[in-house]
Amino acid sequence: MAARSEATDEMLMVRYQRGDRQAFAELLSRYEAQIYNFSLRQLRQAGNAEDVTQEVFLRVVQKAAEFKHEARFSTWLYTIARNLCIDELRKYSHRRHASLDQPGPSEGGERTLGEQVPDLGSRSNVERNALSSEVQRRILEAVDELPDEQREVFLLRQLADLPFKEIAAATGVGENTVKSRLRYALDRLQQALGEFEEYARALR
Amino acid sequence: MDCERFDRVALDLVYAELDELTSAAAKRHLGHCARCRDVSTRLRATREIAVLPLVEPPSGLRAKILAAERQARSHLGARQRLGRVVSVLAGYAMRPQTAMAALLMIMIGASLMFLRARPGERDHVRVTERGVPEGEGEPVTVVPVPERAPHSDTRTAPPHGTAEIDPGRERARATGGEKIAAAQPTARPESQAGRAAPLDKSESESTSADYGTALQAYRNQRYAQAQRDFELIAAQGGAEAPSAALWAAKSMLRSQGCPSAVARFDELQSRYAASDIGNQAAWEAANCYQALGQPERARKSYLQLREASGYSERAQRALDSMAHEVAGSADVAAGASKPAAAAPPPAKAQAPAAAEK
Repeated sequence: MAARSEATDEMLMVRYQRGDRQAFAELLSRYEAQIYNFSLRQLRQAGNAEDVTQEVFLRVVQKAAEFKHEARFSTWLYTIARNLCIDELRKYSHRRHASLDQPGPSEGGERTLGEQVPDLGSRSNVERNALSSEVQRRILEAVDELPDEQREVFLLRQLADLPFKEIAAATGVGENTVKSRLRYALDRLQQALGEFEEYARALR
Repeated sequence: MDCERFDRVALDLVYAELDELTSAAAKRHLGHCARCRDVSTRLRATREIAVLPLVEPPSGLRAKILAAERQARSHLGARQRLGRVVSVLAGYAMRPQTAMAALLMIMIGASLMFLRARPGERDHVRVTERGVPEGEGEPVTVVPVPERAPHSDTRTAPPHGTAEIDPGRERARATGGEKIAAAQPTARPESQAGRAAPLDKSESESTSADYGTALQAYRNQRYAQAQRDFELIAAQGGAEAPSAALWAAKSMLRSQGCPSAVARFDELQSRYAASDIGNQAAWEAANCYQALGQPERARKSYLQLREASGYSERAQRALDSMAHEVAGSADVAAGASKPAAAAPPPAKAQAPAAAEK
């Protein structure tokens, strides 16, 4: 989540409701990458993720007047993104057929999702960089193999950094159900990434 | 804290969502429970290693979104525009100055509600003797007391001075029932039948039959019977009561003469003053007084009738006739006194002649 040294998301939303377009630009800068990555991990297609990201912020524009200030803006935003991703998945049924090796229609041309994963860049030697790329590829594969409900909760927790209560509100299930799904997701990821735990400890 | 309890809060501990007290309890449990410590370590390690790398969005995405936002704002529907206006207004409404102004307006409005309304254009109210505004109360009819009960049935007249209320009478009066009742008996059956329509049907039918019977008795010069019937009708009240009372008095006049009837006419005159019934009663009373040798009372009545519409000529002729009679009687009295003094009475003059014969 973007740093909020000045106005909170909710304050920016109030300003935008009153017609301050600069506030919307600020919100966009804070959440553009997060919504795009969330959509990308859910849809696995960069083109679709880009469309969904654009549609999410367009919904914010259209439904700005309906935003209730009792809720967190991030929760409202991820709820919109989640619903649009579900619609998109149902529409194209791409969920089980996409691959990280499948080229996306992004500006990267023929780059695959795996190739789009940035380098952690924390170590300089070639061996460590190769290991890092391998870890990240395995992480993405493991996340991709998660059941839909578990992956959704995992992304909202790990990527969006939403508290359990907010995730429950966004997904429409109970908080205990959210924790249970996340527990199962972490167990699966632990099994898939167990061989890299030493590497993870080394990164710390 | 036991292991079961720790399992429920393990994720909260890993993601730092536990309150300090529970977190401290969980950490104390980890200090002496190898199993839970292993679970916590694995969860924490998985969380740390399963960090998803952020992919940079396409470079043109932000510009596209801002352009779409600009276009969407220009094509906002009425509902969205209204919502935005409401949001802006709500922002101003939440200011203390606005709240104070609204409170002041509410106080002014509430105080206006307690102001008394103006009395309106109706600056006076006409009331009846009973104190009920005219037109809102029920009509009051005072019926005459029959001199003797004509029948022993239930239709006996109420005591003198009591009020008998009948909503139908007001309608009959409004349609001119009194004047109709005062009309001549020969013109009554058709004209009154129609004008007394608002009355109760059974009452109207029974009253009409009695009235016709009484009228027929009057025409057949059975004045005592006619008087009883008319008095009964008058006692029943209604639109025909005044007329029936008048004809009862007339029947009494025919059967018993002026000495008995004049008081009845006087009563009717005073009761129905300034109406046709009252004028007719006054006319009959004046005639009676003249016949009874009370010219001053007759003159007084004639003088009053001279001012009444429809009676001025008759009253004037009666007054002229009275004046002529008075003048004639005065001349006769004067002529009789003079010859008596100058010449002998004819009888006396003729008497000698007869004697001579």
